[in-house]
Amino acid sequence: MGETPTKQPNHWLTLQSAGSGGPWGCRIESVGVKVPAQRLTTRDLMSKTSHRTRIQLERLTGIHERHVVGPGEDSFTLATGAARDCLSHSQHQASDIEMLISTSITRSKDGSSQSFEPPLSLYVKQAVGATQAMNFDLSNACAGMLTGVFLLQDLVARGEISCGMVVSGEYISHLSWNAARQIRSLFSKQLASLTLGDAGAAVLVERAPDSSGIEVIGFTTLAEHSRLCLAFPSSLGPGAQMYTKSRTLHKVAIQDMAPLVAETIGAAGIDLGDIDYLIPHQTSARAIRSGTKEFVRQLGTRPKHVVINLEEYGNTSSTTLFVALHKYLEEQKIRKGDRVMLLALASGIEIGIAIFTIDSMADNYGHTH
Amino acid sequence: MGTRIEAACAQAGNGGRKTTARRLADAAATHCLALAGCRPRDVDMLINVGVYREDNMGEPALAALIQEDIGANLGHPPTGGSGTFSFDLLNGACGVITALQIESGLLRSGVIQLGAVVSSDVQPDLEKPAAPFLRPAGGAILLKADDGLAGFTDFYSETFPEYADLFTSGLVWRGRSGHGIRGPRPEAGRNQMVVSVRSGYEARLADCAEETTRRFLRRLGLGIEDIDLLIPAPAAPGFVDPLRTKLGIPGDRVAYTPEDLEEAYTTGPIAALQAAIKSGRLSEAENTLLLAGGSGITIALALYRQTPP
Repeated sequence: MGETPTKQPNHWLTLQSAGSGGPWGCRIESVGVKVPAQRLTTRDLMSKTSHRTRIQLERLTGIHERHVVGPGEDSFTLATGAARDCLSHSQHQASDIEMLISTSITRSKDGSSQSFEPPLSLYVKQAVGATQAMNFDLSNACAGMLTGVFLLQDLVARGEISCGMVVSGEYISHLSWNAARQIRSLFSKQLASLTLGDAGAAVLVERAPDSSGIEVIGFTTLAEHSRLCLAFPSSLGPGAQMYTKSRTLHKVAIQDMAPLVAETIGAAGIDLGDIDYLIPHQTSARAIRSGTKEFVRQLGTRPKHVVINLEEYGNTSSTTLFVALHKYLEEQKIRKGDRVMLLALASGIEIGIAIFTIDSMADNYGHTH
Repeated sequence: MGTRIEAACAQAGNGGRKTTARRLADAAATHCLALAGCRPRDVDMLINVGVYREDNMGEPALAALIQEDIGANLGHPPTGGSGTFSFDLLNGACGVITALQIESGLLRSGVIQLGAVVSSDVQPDLEKPAAPFLRPAGGAILLKADDGLAGFTDFYSETFPEYADLFTSGLVWRGRSGHGIRGPRPEAGRNQMVVSVRSGYEARLADCAEETTRRFLRRLGLGIEDIDLLIPAPAAPGFVDPLRTKLGIPGDRVAYTPEDLEEAYTTGPIAALQAAIKSGRLSEAENTLLLAGGSGITIALALYRQTPP
């Protein structure tokens, strides 16, 4: 029907830079979280495995505990709570939201272990009062929330919308319980399931006055590794079971991520040393440290700080990046003027990278509202 | 700059044992690329919008597996070249139009040059087997930026949450306990797909579709008489016939889906679009309206024009 399209050379990532897609910038205006009150320590979890494993999970991962849902909580309530928290830190009303994207993998709601239809985003927008917003769900494993931001960036840059929200709630700790029934050793493909914790997160983006805001955001799918981490509904209990070739996944991620980070900082015209806070997907402290070491080896410089947020939360799946960002804003570790890099890594293998500078949004955190 | 439909392909599953959502999507995507004369590596973005799969895999996105199967830029990042970004978008039977909206925007921005939207569903394994509510099918559309054609100019959607309960689906845990040879065995069971479609759903869908269409056209300053071709989904007569009557659109201005694809689910809009392309009616129509209705109730609309307004 037509000639083959011409490809842009030297951009492995599908990349958006400030001002490239339209006249407007897209800024992160606020983030919010909803974390369940109930906690589960790694020691407690490992004491309940069906087989004696001798796995020193806390030493291996740096995870001391994780938050887990209590009665009446599920993916929907966590997502809705996070959206409300996000609005409480925002200058916007729910009625300003023109598009709402839910990126929960687990999608549990009202006794359903995973809802399919209608999309969870419909219920979230109704619950928070964003009734006029366009909505849809997106599923991209642990990279879901940043994928949502990627899509909103284009809509904001072109002026199609001026305010949008990405939200996710993950009640994913049932994977840990399903895995605990079968795990026998460190080499189990379900080991990564023991690192999971429950949380909701939301991020609101808005039109920036000029092309300021997110400097660069890029994504790619390294599909030759698409089967390294797979999750299916379980026959052991509600929810799913996840099978991960963790060592291969880690090796591939470290090997392939550095050139993609180089591409992103190149597009931003900066150096890795210009990044004040690198917030990577939270899997294990060891993996994050060895990944950072490889970046430094390949790129020659290091970010000023690398955020490891595992001790209290574990791996909260699609919400990790924004749970960490929220925590560091609340603790006033990340401040106005700091340049942040979010680094998503997910089954697929999906790799997503965003660079932005914290602006006046920092003023809305760190004190009681 | 507009966004052109480069090719569209929908095909019904053969009902064989090996029919899976992934294979249906793979076949449709491969066929669509061949129709367009494009290579898999030319695809910059691949969005999968299928909902019902035989295994209900939660992660990764099925789109990543489809990308691998069709051989689109598998990685590892070389110095040069460009990759493919794949993910799943879930908006029930409206997923195709929502994904077209997303990709049209990114094509206009120049972020991508060739976008693929892929769909597929298989009959879910239901607790109470009733009449199948869908026909296994897979579909694919390729979209490209085009300076000489308006293409997709406007998108619109509305939801009617007061009707959210008329169509619901999800996995529900059904536990069972019992005894094995060595004594009591731990509770086990399955996460069972439960689909509920209540009476009156199709009629309400038609009502909502009429209301949304009229609002959309009013916003654009168009009347029903300006629509040369309506491409509706689902194709069920219980939806299309009352909708056509309510809107006052003559039957010769409607693209009907071939019988073997009438019950295609997320592939529905692609099946109707394919029929319009094959008959030459899409290129003849100045203004074409794609319409999809699904759970929520959600109505999604897209206007495809030959020339800019």
